[in-house]
Amino acid sequence: MTAVLANPIARRLLRIPPSYFVFLVLLATLWVARPNMLNLNIMGIFIRQIVPLGILVLGQLVVMRVKSIDLSGGGIILLINYFISSGSFPGASLPFFVVLALATGLVIGLFNGFMIGIRRVSAVIVTLAVSIILVGLVQFLSSGNPPGDVPRLFNDLYNTKFLSVPTPVLFWIMLTAAVWLLLSQTVFGRYVASVGENAEAAHFSGVPVQRTVILAHTLAGLIAAIAALVQTGSIAVGSVRVGLDLPILAVAATILGGVAFGRGDGGVWGPFFGSLCFALLFVVMTVLGIDEPGKLIAQGVIILGAAIFYGVRVRTS
Amino acid sequence: MYRSLSNIVSGRNTRQGQWGLPLLVALLISLWLSVQTTQFATAENLFNLVAQAMPLVIAAVGQLVVVVVGGLDLSVGSVISFTTAVLALDQPAIVLIPAVFVLAAFIGLINGLAITRFNVHPIIATLSTQYIVLGITRILRPVSGGTVPEIVIAAVSGSFLGIPYPVFWGIVVMLLAWKLLYGSRYGLHLFAIGGGIASGAESAARNFGVSDRRNIILAYVVCSCFAAVAGVFLAGRIVSGDPNVGLLFELDTVTAVALGGTQLSGGIGSLHGTVIGALVMALLANGMNLANVSPFVQTAIKGGILLAVVGLQSRKKMGL
Repeated sequence: MTAVLANPIARRLLRIPPSYFVFLVLLATLWVARPNMLNLNIMGIFIRQIVPLGILVLGQLVVMRVKSIDLSGGGIILLINYFISSGSFPGASLPFFVVLALATGLVIGLFNGFMIGIRRVSAVIVTLAVSIILVGLVQFLSSGNPPGDVPRLFNDLYNTKFLSVPTPVLFWIMLTAAVWLLLSQTVFGRYVASVGENAEAAHFSGVPVQRTVILAHTLAGLIAAIAALVQTGSIAVGSVRVGLDLPILAVAATILGGVAFGRGDGGVWGPFFGSLCFALLFVVMTVLGIDEPGKLIAQGVIILGAAIFYGVRVRTS
Repeated sequence: MYRSLSNIVSGRNTRQGQWGLPLLVALLISLWLSVQTTQFATAENLFNLVAQAMPLVIAAVGQLVVVVVGGLDLSVGSVISFTTAVLALDQPAIVLIPAVFVLAAFIGLINGLAITRFNVHPIIATLSTQYIVLGITRILRPVSGGTVPEIVIAAVSGSFLGIPYPVFWGIVVMLLAWKLLYGSRYGLHLFAIGGGIASGAESAARNFGVSDRRNIILAYVVCSCFAAVAGVFLAGRIVSGDPNVGLLFELDTVTAVALGGTQLSGGIGSLHGTVIGALVMALLANGMNLANVSPFVQTAIKGGILLAVVGLQSRKKMGL
């Protein structure tokens, strides 16, 4: 085993994010099982559905790079969906909702960052607890029933296309590129990389570790708010269940993309393909007639597989 | 032994963690409930409370074992659901009961192996098995139903000398866990490994000849088996298999462990604290039910307690 892993070709292969392999395998499976599914229009519809996840992944990968995690996305999405669909703000315009959503995400992200960066509470517990509180609150406010309708404009915007590419997909790609620039070209990006690599060494090199962690979580909150807006546009109704499994899937897609708690060789494009993998996975599973339990098992196996792949890579390098 | 009462309440750091405050909270809630309501302070309600709290107590004790070695097991809830589903497979009890524990041990083994051999973070490893086990449970039993062997039902619903069986379950589980954590070499090793992990010297125990890998793997196996015991108990109570009965148990166990003063970073933890923590949660649920608080608000309050409790624990590590 170790001899094989020490082989230079094997080591080079291990450096590639697992998401690329999984993406190719799923694409090949689909090509064999249903070749006629592989056209741009059909794939566009499927990929469009995964955009909220894809956006959430961008926030997740930033916090995972500083060796943290954010599971509060589900609560944020639910709360913003409730704000928009409950009719608590009658006659409010689109910009108002956008600002409200971003402010919500900012406040929750800042709170997460404060608890994790300054109070040093376990990130899993804080973000999970925040999510539980928000979910419980929204379900209480709406008495467990879906609140109401979303202003038409959200869904109309979601359904637009630009040169036959759905606008949400385009938006996702642009956002990914923006995060890529942020992480690779800015001082903040360097701080994130050094804090993730070794927080103590970063501290002694003059990196503001606490501020970086807080900023990373604030950014994740903001990005979750954007994901919430897109998700609300996509389902076009109020819901008390929407997006609850998205944070876990976002963690999975990020790990699949080769980023795991600290060191991230895959950058943002590995996780980008990680999200695409989940889009394809659901298509393949549906095509093969596998139901919900099978999907759960497949998700678990993929997360574990990617994490083991990553663990093996860290051991050998 | 030599600590003063104020030390216990303020919780000077010992290997036992800070468990005085939750005990005080538990007493205060009980006092308030017995003054405010007539139903609370009856023997029937108290025994009922013990029976309601028991699954959480058992599963939380299992969670404590992995928390002591700086880990976390998020698959606890799905192992509980899985256990009830397996028990309701309409096979003889002599086959089902051993099978449940073998399967639970196997799940723990996978968790432990992934974490120690393949360098997977505990949260990720147990999250994956949570999904896999939940999926298998839903295949076995898509909706709740089936019948549980008579012996399992009899084991939780009878009473001996006027004391209901659930009380004995609690005593046996606590004695077992006490022996494991404080009365054996294995327990000492767990605290040594956990203390090393918490202080950032992960190889500390190894340097003294304690095999950390094997002990950590065993901790996850023990945790899963405790979850299976909780599942057997629950199956006897609900008399059927239910794929969703263990939902949110992983969080409740973590809350109970943290409430009991156990540090989530490892090395410090107390059995009595954990049991008190689980009882506080049960008391709160009982009190909120008596006060007609909406179940959604109860969920939010549980989250708030978790947040408050871990927010008050200071630790060196930042992040996970």
